[in-house]
Amino acid sequence: MTTETLWTLATVLVFPGGLFALVLGLALKGVERRAIARLQRRIGPPLVQPFYDLLKLMRKRTLIPDTANAFVFLAVPVAGLASMAVAAGMIPIAGFFEPSPLLGNLVVLFYLISIPAVSLMLAGSASGSPYGAIGFSREMAIVLAYEGPILLSLVSVALYAGALTGQPVLLNLTEIVRYQQQHGAFLFDPWMWPALLTYLCFIPANLGIAPFDIPEAESEILEGPLVEYSGPPLGLMKMMSVTKAVVVLGLGIALFFPNGPAGLAGLLVFIIKCLVLVLAVSLLKAAVGRMRIDQAVLFYLKWPELLGFAGLALAIARF
Amino acid sequence: MKSFDMPVGPLHVSLEEPMYFRIHVEGEQVAGIEITAGHVHRGIEYLTAKRNIYQNLALIERVCSLCSNSHPQAYCMGLEKIAGIEVPERAQYLRVIADEIKRAASNMFNVAILAHIVGFESLFMHVMEAREIMQDTKETVFGNRMDLAANVIGGVKFDIDEAGAAYVIGQLNRLEPILVKEIIPLYETNASILSRTRGVGVINREQCIDYGLMGPVARGSGYAYDVRTAAPYAVYDRLDVEVITYPDGDVWSRAMVRLREVVEAIRLMRLCLRELPEGPLTAGPLPFIPAGEAITKVEAPRGELIYYLKTDGTDIPARVKWRVPTYMNWDALEVMMVGDRISDIPLIVNSIDPCISCTER
Repeated sequence: MTTETLWTLATVLVFPGGLFALVLGLALKGVERRAIARLQRRIGPPLVQPFYDLLKLMRKRTLIPDTANAFVFLAVPVAGLASMAVAAGMIPIAGFFEPSPLLGNLVVLFYLISIPAVSLMLAGSASGSPYGAIGFSREMAIVLAYEGPILLSLVSVALYAGALTGQPVLLNLTEIVRYQQQHGAFLFDPWMWPALLTYLCFIPANLGIAPFDIPEAESEILEGPLVEYSGPPLGLMKMMSVTKAVVVLGLGIALFFPNGPAGLAGLLVFIIKCLVLVLAVSLLKAAVGRMRIDQAVLFYLKWPELLGFAGLALAIARF
Repeated sequence: MKSFDMPVGPLHVSLEEPMYFRIHVEGEQVAGIEITAGHVHRGIEYLTAKRNIYQNLALIERVCSLCSNSHPQAYCMGLEKIAGIEVPERAQYLRVIADEIKRAASNMFNVAILAHIVGFESLFMHVMEAREIMQDTKETVFGNRMDLAANVIGGVKFDIDEAGAAYVIGQLNRLEPILVKEIIPLYETNASILSRTRGVGVINREQCIDYGLMGPVARGSGYAYDVRTAAPYAVYDRLDVEVITYPDGDVWSRAMVRLREVVEAIRLMRLCLRELPEGPLTAGPLPFIPAGEAITKVEAPRGELIYYLKTDGTDIPARVKWRVPTYMNWDALEVMMVGDRISDIPLIVNSIDPCISCTER
C-alpha cells in the first residue's frame, strides 16, 4: 500500500472520519440534550451522557428476534456506520484538513449521505416487527420527499461555484471551500440563499429531528426501525446517527460557510460552527411538535422543492 | 400497501396503563380495531365483600389514582343514603373542593400527555409544571399528592382553615394566569397541535348518544351532559356549574373541554372557599347501617361514575358495584379510529382519557 492509500485510510478511520466524527457527534448529542433540557426548564443529563449510553449498549447482549432476517439485521448497522465514516472523511475543514481526492467528489458524498436512510429502511423491514415495517414506509416516504431538494441544493452550489471559477460544474468539495476562502463565503451571497435555505430545511429531516422525527416517532411507533435492536447493533445504529449529524452539519458548513483561520484554530472554528448549528436545531426541536408523515411529505414537496428550483435557476442564471 | 395487524399494547409508551389493541391496518389507515381488556384486573369488587365498610373506604380509594376522590365519594354517598345520614354543609363544600382539585390535576395531566404524544415535549413539560401547582396544593391540604383520603362516611376527614384557604387561593392565583394566558391560547393556536388534533378521531353527537359516552368525550361532541348539573350532589346545585361543550367531536375539542373545565374548577374552588360555612366536618358517630340498596352517581374527571351498594345489616356490604365512564368510552374507539391514520392511534386513545384500572378493577 502506498502512503497515499494509508493516509486516506487514516482520514476515514481516525480523523476527520471514524473516531473524530464519532466523538464530536456524541459530544454534540450531549450538548443538544442539555440545551433542550434547559429550554424545558429541566436540568438535563451530563454532557458525557451519550458516551455512557454507548458504552453501556456495547457491553450488552445482542438479541435477534425470531422473525428477523439475521444477516441483514446485523449487517445493516455496520454498513450504515461505515458509509458515514467514509463520508466524514470527505468533509474538508477549512485551513486544517483537505480530504483525499481518492475518496471521490460531491456526487459520491451525496450517495453516501443517503445510505443511513437506506440502512434504517432495511433495518425496519429486516426486524420483522410491524412497527419496523411502518418505520420503513415512513422513512421511505420522507427520503423521497427530501432527496429532491437536497440534490437541487448541492447541484446549485456546484454549478454556481463552477460559474465563478470558469468551469461548467465544480464537484470537488475542496475547491469549493478554497474558492470561498479566497472570495468570501456563499452564506453572504444572496444568489446562494435559496440553496442555503433548502439545505437548512434538509437538516432536520435527515437527522430525524422534530417536526420530522416521524420514522422513529417514539410515542407512536416506538422508534420504528430500531424497535427490535439491542446491545452492540443498537450502539452501531446510534453511532451511525451521531456521525451522520457531523457529516450533514459539516457538509453544510463546507458548502456555505467554510471560512476559518489556518491551523488548529480552523478546527476549533469548525467545531464552534457545529455547536451553533446544534443549538439552533435544539431550539427547533424544543419549539415544535411532530408532523404527520403526509404533512411532512407535502411540506417537502412544496417549500424546499420550490426553494431548490429557485436556487438552481439563480445558479444557472449566473453563467 | 398491504394490510396487516399491528399490536398496540399491552405495554406501549403512549399508553399509561396496560391495554391491548389489535389494530387492523391498511396502508397507513386503520381499518378495524379489537380491544382486549383485563390486564389489570385485581378483583377489587370481590374484595369489597370481604371487608367492612371502613376498610372498603381505603380499598376503593385505591382503585385508580386519577379518580381517587370520586370513587370514595360515591361510595360514601351510597352509605349515607342507606343509613339516612345528613352530611353537614361545611363537609359538602369541602367535598366539592376535593372533587374539583382532582379534576383540575387530572385534566391537565391528560392534556399534557396529548402534547407528549404529538412530540411537543416542551409543551408537555410546561403543562406538567403548571399541574405541579395543583399537586403541591393537594400535598399541603390533604398530605398526599394523589390519594386524598378526603371522604369519610358522613363527612370529610380534612379541614381548610383561614390560613389554608388563603394558601389555596394563592395557589389558584398562580395557576390561573398560566392556564388562561399561556396554555389555553397555545392549544388554541399552535400549528403543531392544531394540525395533529383537528378533525382527528371524530365522533358526532348522535353516535355519542348511541354509545352512551360520558364526560369530556361527550361534551367535546356537543352533548351537554354533566352529573354536576343533571343530578347535582354535594352542593353543586348552588354553584351554577357551567357545562363546557365543543361542537366538533375531535381530539382537539376533547382537549379544549378538559382545559376549560380546569378553569371552571378553579372558579368553583374559589367560590366554595369564599362561601365555606362554619360547622362540623362529619355527621358524628356512625349510626347502624340497615339493610338496603342505593345508587349514587358523581362526575369523575372522565365522566359519570355510578355506584350501586347493597347492605344486609352487617358491617360488610353485600355488594358494591360500579360503572365507570371509560367502560362506555373505550367502545367508541372503534368509531373514532377507523379511517384515521396509524400516527393518530395514540392520540385518539389518549383523547378518551382511558382509566384502565377503574374499568378492570
